Parts: sequence; structure tokens; C-alpha cells
Amino acid sequence: MTAEYQATSRIAVAPARLPRRAVPASQHLRRLRPVILPVLTGGAVLLVWQLLVAALRIPAVILPPPVEIAQELWRVLPLLLRHAVPTTLDSLMAFFAATALGVGLAITITYSPFLRDMLYPNLVFFQLIPKIALAPLFVVWLGISSESRVAFAAFVSFFPIVISAAVGFANIEASALRLCRSLTASEWQCFLMVRFPFALPAIFSGMKVAMTMAIIGVIIGEFISAKAGLGFYILYASSRMETAVIFAALLVLCIIGVTLFGAVALAEGLVRRVYGRR
Amino acid sequence: MPMVEQARYVELTEVSKVYRDGTAEAIEAVSSVSFTVPLGQFVAVLGPSGCGKSTLLMMVGGLEALTAGRIAIGGKPMTGPRDSIGIMFQDATLLPWKSALDNVLFPIRVLKRPQDAYRDTARQLLERVGLDGFMHKKPHELSGGMRQRVAICRALVYDPELLLMDEPFSALDAITRDEMNELLLDLWQQYTKTALFVTHSIREAVFLADRVLVMTRRPATIVEDLTIPFARPRSMSIGESREFNEICGHLRERIEESHHRERGQRAEPSVARRELVG
Repeated sequence: MTAEYQATSRIAVAPARLPRRAVPASQHLRRLRPVILPVLTGGAVLLVWQLLVAALRIPAVILPPPVEIAQELWRVLPLLLRHAVPTTLDSLMAFFAATALGVGLAITITYSPFLRDMLYPNLVFFQLIPKIALAPLFVVWLGISSESRVAFAAFVSFFPIVISAAVGFANIEASALRLCRSLTASEWQCFLMVRFPFALPAIFSGMKVAMTMAIIGVIIGEFISAKAGLGFYILYASSRMETAVIFAALLVLCIIGVTLFGAVALAEGLVRRVYGRR
Repeated sequence: MPMVEQARYVELTEVSKVYRDGTAEAIEAVSSVSFTVPLGQFVAVLGPSGCGKSTLLMMVGGLEALTAGRIAIGGKPMTGPRDSIGIMFQDATLLPWKSALDNVLFPIRVLKRPQDAYRDTARQLLERVGLDGFMHKKPHELSGGMRQRVAICRALVYDPELLLMDEPFSALDAITRDEMNELLLDLWQQYTKTALFVTHSIREAVFLADRVLVMTRRPATIVEDLTIPFARPRSMSIGESREFNEICGHLRERIEESHHRERGQRAEPSVARRELVG
């Protein structure tokens, strides 16, 4: 009886007290942890790197210290930016080509059971091939022009889009399609009003993978055949044993990658505002 | 509409549906069903789950092909979905990215009718079902009962002549279900559509319908056609009357008879049941 009474009184008092209590500093820290922790970890790795290189006297050609990389980056930045332009443009072109072709093929597969049975197993099989090994073939077929690299990058980034878009189009709720049909909607209306919006999350997850694949494809292409671009410049710097410059170029490449990926994620966020489930 | 077509507004003649599942033996889901529904009548199709009543309803809605027989609505044979039919499915099937109001207006968009002309109708319907404050809420913000209310409004907004309902409240809890039954009756009294309502709940069927058709599993056909004598408008309280419970008891017997037959036993209503019926 007493225990019960205590319990109820505690419950009754608690809501009145809780909001008044000041939020302790530790709680603030915990909330910021997702930001602070990775930054601190990265900083710590750089610090250990810097100290280790000095302590073990590792030659700069093998592993330059972070400070030297920063200095090099500052020195060659204008040049790096110039080389970043073709890399970025080629990646974007490849990405858009892959998206258009991938979604197009996924629609075809969705509406033609014959083509689906014909193509889909082969697509999955192709997905498993290390496509990067095919890069030299594109040089043989399309030469050493920018188009050749765009084609290769588009080829590499095309598969994740087809597969995820096809899955997205197929995994639509059957009842929504039945509703659409019951309203005498045409196949095209059903697609536009129901199937496509339902598949958007899957398409976007394919697009995010494709964006990274496109950049990889372009860099590989530049390793093989280009006279400009960050891939070319990395190879050029390595031939001159400028290891710090390689790291600087990698950093620029990282920033490009994050920016382009972020752009796709941003577009996804905007689309989700209209077509979001929540 | 000519008199004959009013008396046989919905007309099923020897309708059958056989599913052939690969090499397995054919499954007769609906076997030689014939009945007519006059304009403005509310008919419930009552039967145990898996007796083919939903398949029957989908055939009437033009969403399933017939294996044999003929269905005509308003004198015209069914060849596919029509915009003079409104369908409510087992789940509300709302588009998750659309607000309640936009979901109600979805048929108007599909049918390419002017949305502005129907916006007021949609609003009035939503108000009518008690969703005044929820017009701009998305489905995930609504309860199960609210979602089915939106689905009712969506089925009514384009003013179909015939309303088909496929166990629309079977996923709801008992209290919400009673509420929805009352609401549906209320709406039906106002709009007086011809209605076909599929259910496995005896009380629901008797409460709502002018006429109850009992469908059994084997054979998958109509074994009873019972007129429900209660005057309209009806209220929930008729459920307590002796006559109501007698009708329910009779229908239960008919369903049980077919169960016994299925198990190869002689049809014999249990003593306990007879007592319960009075």
C-alpha cells in the first residue's frame, strides 16, 4: 500500500519538475558527438601521422607529413583546379547519361516481361564483372578522347541505376496499381502517378552509387588515356615522385566527390519533400 | 434508364472463375454464380475467407477476367474498369505522399476532370466523415479508421453509380469497425448508391444490407439469398433486437452447413446454436 502510494506520488510530481532542470553540459556534448567525434578522430590521425613520419624519419617520397601536403596543396592549387574541370564535367556527363539510360532500360524491363527475362539475368551477371578491367577496350573502341572516358564511366555507373530502378518499379504496392486500374487509368498514368513516385527512393539510392562510380570511371579513364584531368595529374605527379602533390590531388578529388554526391543527396531531399512517405 | 435495366442494374449470369496454377490442378474460385441487383439496393456478399467472394467482386469491378459467364452493369456487358464504379479495398490504399484531400481528389486527376470543380465536393465529403481538421494531413498521420474514411470519400467523390466494397473494415478494431459501419450507412442513406459489400462478418452484413447473399467455399457459389427486413434509417440498436439475432443465426447455420459438407459430414445445426437463435 505504501509502495503504491509512493509510486503514484512520484509520477505526479515528475512532469512538473523535469522541464525546469537545467540541461547539464555533458548532455550538450553528447548531442554534438556525431560532429565532434569524427572531427577529433580525423585530427588525431593527422597528428599521429605527422609525429610518426618525423619520429621514424620516413622519407617524404614514401609518405609526406600532412603539413607538407598542405603546403604543396596551396602551391599547386590553381593547377589542380584547372585539372579538376574536365574530371568534374566528364563525371557529370557520365552520371546523367547513365541515369537516363538506366531508368529508361528499367522502364522497358518493367513493361516487357520478354525483355526482362532476356536482359535482367545478364545485367545481374554483368554487374558482377569487374568492369574496370574493360577500360582499355574503350580506348580501343573510342580512342583517347574525352568521349571515350565519359562512355566508360557511364558504362560503369549504369548498372547500379538499372538494377535499383528495376527493383523500385517492381516493388510497388500491388493495391495502389489496382486502384489506378479501377479508375480506368492508362498504363502511362499509372506509371506517372503511382509507379514512378513509389520507385523514387530506390532510383535515388541507385543514383548515389552511380555518382561515385562515375567519378571512379573517369579517373580510371584518365589514368589510361588522358592529357588532362586529376587522374592524369596524379599519374604525372607519381612519375615525378611528387608524393605530396598526389595527396593534394586526392584531397581535391575527395572534395569533388563529396560535392557531387551531396548534390544528388540534396536533389533527393527536395524530391522527398514532395513525394516523401512521411 | 429503362425499367428493365433498373431492376437488373447489376446482372451476373453463370459467372465462373478458374485459376490454373501451372501444372497443379485447376482451382475453381467462383462457380456459376448468378444474381441481379436492382438500382439503389445495398447487397452484402457474406462468406468465409477464401470462398472467392473478393474474386467475384473484382470481376464485377472489371479488374479480373471471367473464365465463363457474363456480367452486365446498367445493361452494358463489363469489359474492363468503368468510371461509373467506385471501389473500396481491404486496405485504404492511400498514396503516402499525398494529403487526405489530394488522395480524395486522386480519381479526379486520373479521370482528367477539372480538379477545381471537385475540390468543394471533396472537402464536403471529408467534413461529412469528420475529417475537417485532417484535410492536409498525410496518411501516416492518420489512424487506420481515418484512412478508411478518406478511402470512402475517394470512392464517392466522382459520383459513381455503383459502389463495390471488399471487406473495407476487416483490418480495423471492433469499435472502429462499428463506427465505420454506422458512418457508411449514414453516407449510403444520403447518396443511395447501388452497393455490393463483401464481408465475412454476419452482423456487419445484416446491419448494412437490404439483402444478404451467402457464398460458400465448396461449391464457390451463392447458396442463400436473404432479404433483410429492417427499415431505414437504421441505427446500431437494431443489433440488439431478437429478429436481428434470428437472422444472424439463420445465416450462420447456412455457412456451417457448407462447412460440414466440406468435411464430408451431414449438415446438422448444433443444439447449442439452435438454442442461441431461440
